[in-house]
Amino acid sequence: MTLFYVFAGVAVVTSLLVIAQRNPIYSVLLLVASFGALSGLYVLLDAPFVAAIQIIIYAGAIMVLFLFVVMLLNAPHEDTEYDERTHPLARPGPTRAGSLLAVALVVELVWALTRAGEAPSPFPEAGLSSIAAIGRALFTEYAFPFEVTSILILVAMVGAVVLARRDERARK
Amino acid sequence: MTPLLVAQIVLTLAVFQGLLLSAAAMVWVERRLAALLQQRLGPIRVGWQGLLQPFADVLKLMFKEELRPAAADAILFTLAPVISATAAFAAFAVVPFGAATTFFGLLDEPVSLQVADVNVAILIVFAISSMGVYGIVLAGWSSNNKYSLLGGLRASAQMISYELSYGLALAGVLLLGNSLSLTEIVNQQSGTWLGVVPRWFVFLQPLGFLIFMTAGIAETNRAPFDFPEAEQELVAGYHTEYSSMRFAMFFLAEYVNMVTVSAVAADLFLGGWHGPFLPESLGWIWFLAKVGAILFFYVWMRWTLPRYRYDQLMAFGWKVLLPVAVVNLLATGAAVLYFGL
Repeated sequence: MTLFYVFAGVAVVTSLLVIAQRNPIYSVLLLVASFGALSGLYVLLDAPFVAAIQIIIYAGAIMVLFLFVVMLLNAPHEDTEYDERTHPLARPGPTRAGSLLAVALVVELVWALTRAGEAPSPFPEAGLSSIAAIGRALFTEYAFPFEVTSILILVAMVGAVVLARRDERARK
Repeated sequence: MTPLLVAQIVLTLAVFQGLLLSAAAMVWVERRLAALLQQRLGPIRVGWQGLLQPFADVLKLMFKEELRPAAADAILFTLAPVISATAAFAAFAVVPFGAATTFFGLLDEPVSLQVADVNVAILIVFAISSMGVYGIVLAGWSSNNKYSLLGGLRASAQMISYELSYGLALAGVLLLGNSLSLTEIVNQQSGTWLGVVPRWFVFLQPLGFLIFMTAGIAETNRAPFDFPEAEQELVAGYHTEYSSMRFAMFFLAEYVNMVTVSAVAADLFLGGWHGPFLPESLGWIWFLAKVGAILFFYVWMRWTLPRYRYDQLMAFGWKVLLPVAVVNLLATGAAVLYFGL
C-alpha cells in the first residue's frame, strides 16, 4: 500500500506540475514522469504487460514526438498577453473557455467521487497479466473496436500527410 | 538477511560492476582493434598491451574541468547524461546471462543468473532503452548550441525509426519462443537438430537476426549509423558542449548500450548460455563468448564501413528494413501456424 501512495503521489504531483510550468519542455518531461508513475501503478495491479506498453508507447514514442515538436517550434516560454491579475473569466476567449472547462471538470470529479460506493470494482484474477488473454480478447471479443481504432489512426495519418503536402505546394 | 537476498544483492552488484568493466574493456578493444585494422599499434604503453589505458582515461576525465555554457538550461544539462547512463544500466537488469545456479550449494533454491526475472523481460528492455532517447535529445536541446540540437534531433529521429524494425525483428523470435521471458526463450534453444546444428533461433530467423543487428547498430548510434555525432558536420553532435565526467557518462552509456544489445541478441538468437562442451553451470562462459563475438563484429563494422548519408539512412529504415521486417514476421507467423511449432 505504501508503494501505491508513492506512485499515486508522484503521478498527481507531476501532473499538476505539467500545467504549472511555463516552459513546455519541462511540461513534456513531467508528463513522462507522470506516465512512469502510472506504469508503476499498473505493475501493482498485476498488469506488467500494460505497464511496459505504457512506457514503450506513451513515454517512449508519443512523448518523444511531443518533445520534437516543442523543440522544433522553439517555444521556450508561454507569453501571456493579458494582465496576470485579471479574473480568469475576464480574460481573452480561449482562456475563458479553458476556465469554464476546468470548472466543469471539477464539478464532474466531485460528482463522480461522491457517488463512488464502498465496493471497488473487482479486479480480474490475473487475467490482465496474461498476454495470451489480452490478445485473445482483442481479436475476438473486441475485434470490431480494435479494427475501427486502427482505421481511425489510418485516417489521421492520411490527413496529416495531406496537410503537409498542401503546405508544400502552396509554398512553390 | 536470507541467503537469497544476499545472492540477489551480490548479483546486482556484480552485474553493475561487470557492465562498468565491460565498458572499460570495450574502450580498449575498440582502440586496439581500430589500430590493428589501420596498420597501427594503438595504445600499448599503459599496462600490459595497454590494458590499463581505459583507467588512465577515466582518471584524466575526472580531473578535467566541467564546463557548462552560460546559455544552457542548467537543470536539463545536468540531468541529460544521468538519464542516458541510468537507462543504459537499467536495461540490463532483466537480461539473463547464465543458467539457474545454487552458487555451489549455498542456496536451497537455484536462482537464475540475472538481476530480475520478469515475465515480460523483452518489453522491459525495450521500454527502458527507449527512455535513453531522452538523455540524448535533452542534451542536444539544453546545450543551446545548433550542432548539439541537430545531433539530438537526428538521434531521436533515427532511434524512433529503427525501433520499429527492431521490435518487429524481436516479434519473430517471440512467435517461435511463445513467451516474452528471456529465460524461457533461451531454454527453448537448448539441444541440437540432427545432433550437429544447435537449436538456435538464428537458424530459424536468419533474416530477423540481420534486421535485429542492423537496427541495433542504429539504436546504439554506432558507425556506420553514427549521425548524431557525425564529426564532419556536427562537431561532436549532442555532446559537443559536454566535458569531464558528464561526457564520460554519455560515453559509458554508449558502450553499455552496445553490451546490452549484444546480450539480448545472444539470448534471443544465439542460444544464450547453451553450447556444446561446457556443463550447464559454466554456460555463462558461452554467453560471454557470444556477446564478445557480437561486440567484435560491432567494432569491425565501425572501422570498415563509411558512414551513410542521413537521408539514405532514413530511406533505408522506412523503405527497406521495415517492410522486410513485416514480411519476415508474416512468414514466421504463417510457418508457426502451419507447422504448429
